[in-house]
Amino acid sequence: MTTFNTPEFRRRAFLAGLGALSTSALVTACGGTNASTGTGSTTPVDGGNITFLIQGYDTGWVSSKTSISSYEGNLWGQITDKLVYVNEKGELSPWVAESWEELNGAKDFVIHLKQGVTFSDGAPVDAAAVVANLNAWAKGDSTRGVSKVGLFPSSNFVSAEATDAVTVKVSFSSPSLGFIATLAYHGCILLSPKTLALPVEAQADLSQEIGSGPFVVKSWKQGDSYVLEKRKDYNWGPAALGHTGPARLDTITYKVIKDTSVRTSTVVSGQADVAFNVEPQEIESLKAQGFTVGTPRYLGFVDGFQVNTQAFPTNDPAVRKAIQHGIDRDEILKTVYTSDWNAATTFIQGNVPEAGEFSDTFKFDADKANKILDDAGWATGSDGYRSKDGKTLEFTLTPNPYVPSTKAEDELIAQQLKKVGIKVNLKVVDVAGYAAVQASKPPLFQTSRSFVDVGTVAGVLTSQNKGEDWFGLGTSDQKLNDLSTAIATASDRASREKVADQLQQYVLEQGYFIPLNQLVQRLYLISPKIKDVQYNGLAYANFYTAWISQ
Amino acid sequence: MTGDYRRFALTRAGQAIVVVLLAYVFTFLIISVLPGDAITNTLRDPQHGLSEEDIQRIVAFYGLDQPVIVQLLLSLGRFLTGELGFSLQSNLPVSQIVGDALPSTLTLATTALLIAIIFAVAIAYGAQYLPGKWAAIVRSIPSFFLSVPNFVIGLILIEFFAFRLHSFTTTDPHSPVATLFAAITLAIPVSAPLAEVLIASLDHESRQEYALVARSRGLSEARLFAKHLVKPSALPSVAMVALIVGELLGGSVITETIFGRDGIGTVVQKAVTGEDQPVLQAVVSLSAVVFVAVNLVADLASPLLDPRVKLRETKLKEKVGA
Repeated sequence: MTTFNTPEFRRRAFLAGLGALSTSALVTACGGTNASTGTGSTTPVDGGNITFLIQGYDTGWVSSKTSISSYEGNLWGQITDKLVYVNEKGELSPWVAESWEELNGAKDFVIHLKQGVTFSDGAPVDAAAVVANLNAWAKGDSTRGVSKVGLFPSSNFVSAEATDAVTVKVSFSSPSLGFIATLAYHGCILLSPKTLALPVEAQADLSQEIGSGPFVVKSWKQGDSYVLEKRKDYNWGPAALGHTGPARLDTITYKVIKDTSVRTSTVVSGQADVAFNVEPQEIESLKAQGFTVGTPRYLGFVDGFQVNTQAFPTNDPAVRKAIQHGIDRDEILKTVYTSDWNAATTFIQGNVPEAGEFSDTFKFDADKANKILDDAGWATGSDGYRSKDGKTLEFTLTPNPYVPSTKAEDELIAQQLKKVGIKVNLKVVDVAGYAAVQASKPPLFQTSRSFVDVGTVAGVLTSQNKGEDWFGLGTSDQKLNDLSTAIATASDRASREKVADQLQQYVLEQGYFIPLNQLVQRLYLISPKIKDVQYNGLAYANFYTAWISQ
Repeated sequence: MTGDYRRFALTRAGQAIVVVLLAYVFTFLIISVLPGDAITNTLRDPQHGLSEEDIQRIVAFYGLDQPVIVQLLLSLGRFLTGELGFSLQSNLPVSQIVGDALPSTLTLATTALLIAIIFAVAIAYGAQYLPGKWAAIVRSIPSFFLSVPNFVIGLILIEFFAFRLHSFTTTDPHSPVATLFAAITLAIPVSAPLAEVLIASLDHESRQEYALVARSRGLSEARLFAKHLVKPSALPSVAMVALIVGELLGGSVITETIFGRDGIGTVVQKAVTGEDQPVLQAVVSLSAVVFVAVNLVADLASPLLDPRVKLRETKLKEKVGA
């Protein structure tokens, strides 16, 4: 059932152990020196080079494929700009777009571009270039193997046109409140029209990826290391970051080191400055040594389960509610994560402006869960599991391979639900196998999905407008249909926020979604001497403002 | 004799080609059986938010929606004309990916092989000539070497030599010192079977009459070892070395991962997890070629080390030819 005895598990356990050992050994070796080096000057200084360790850049540099990747996305963020900036709270602010107008009930938009912005090959980031990018995001080009940007509102996109050198007009056939927010999304990176016109094989060559970001690619060896150097003439960073002019660091070297414990120890020993994705269990001890551990949350759905209302046993509303109340989220946070993680309050992340506080609808209460199941006629058998009409109350959970920590999470959930008489089987699959699990429409499917605008939610709840129909309801739940239509077609934010509230309450009350905790998918271990690393709303570290304290 | 040799060489070369082609087809079929493909694995990431229709359009662009047999024939046709194609994962030319990774793996494998041979000879010598108790301990080293996992050795070496003694930095895994430690990691398990074979043949040879005679004539053990025992004992070891090359190619995955070296091992690992067929096909074919070639060389070298092999070979050929 579980996989404690697989070689992989033993290997990981060993690595974690050795990592912890080496970490503590190094603390002893370094003594108190870390504490004193951490307190340098607070005035930023220019110059210096940093090394960023990451586990891999396997999917390469075709932007339409990898700009949203947790790995490649880190590098894309340094060499490209976006039209709009989104901060950790989901607030939008100008970047390459100096300002914008929302017209005609959010059907038309006018974007005013900053002047003097150039790509690293010298070509201007003008209206024509932005139109080329908008078209690529909206439509892609399947004849060249280029996909569209997933979250871009393509279905009602009509056109983008340059009205003058610095003005772009974008039209939609129906209200598209999420459009401006989408421009801040990590999929929507501005690339030179020359790059966009290349066949995919040529786009795979990182040195042909021409952006307008604060860094440019100096040299790279695929699968090994990637050296970025600052652009000296860069002067159009987001005002929200509080810095103008070029980046402070001279170079950033992204170096691939696959093994998590080696990445961690390398930073701890001072041979590198940043490591991506360390083990959550090590965070406390790393912080104690003076290291910074960034655990930014992204805007999107929380870590949790979408419920198939058509499959046994979740076709019974009582079972759905019992699962919601049978899961002890505090125990998960304590056991699997650290205090840097937060419990979910609804099914969307707490930093989405429209996220509400609905914890009570799914609060842990084993007695309540037991009572709901008793009342619904699920009787406990001699083996401790409940059954009804000869069928045992059981289902299979598949941890989300895109979020490795969900395996430990689901193992714990299986134990917790056993206490209320629900039998949970675990099936661990890799990324390729997960698609097959999703296609099989299991009772509970563990999801992770980011978005920058709450309007995205409307596209997944029902089967209306080619929706993803997460809960298997089709269009059978009239109230859900109405609420998601209201979200999708809203033309002002205030009224949409009210509907979003009602929608969250309804979905949770019906047990359509079982939230666990707020997702942290990207962790950054940062040396004490690196200052002012900032995170955007998509949980990527930005090194434009970073500097090295001496 | 030369005609025999030519026929022998041609047969072996023919076999080699068949082996390579079979390896190619098998790899293709195995990957096809796995669920998903390189494109959908990437694009289905829920963070993409792409619809199934969007994904299928891209899948069609790469021809991955066609029947497996059609894909196999197309791929085989390209391979036979020397075209390795592009990676489905990164869209980079396969020749570039393999070409970038190959030098690192060759350096690692060659260094590891040399170290493994040195270890094996030292162990075998110790097992023969150290006093009783010590010889017994030395004789148990190969099984110890075999039973300690590669990654444990690697992590311990990194911990002590990189993080404590600062002999090398993990961020520069291609430096000579880092390469040496990676090679030691890889050499340790590889040296074990080699040492065992060498110990067994030395035991056998030292019991032979000629060794007894040599000893009775006052030859020192060291001279006996160097002058008389090494050459006949090396014969089975040469065959073993040829097999070990396969292990060095395959076993480099873990060592490369731990030491952060980009090489054939990591390329294979990425290609398998990402179901990147073109890359995997190229690497498997390349490995098959190397493996077959090394074994061919070992076969051809055997008669030079032991004249008896040549005799048997010729007799066999005569029988078959008759």
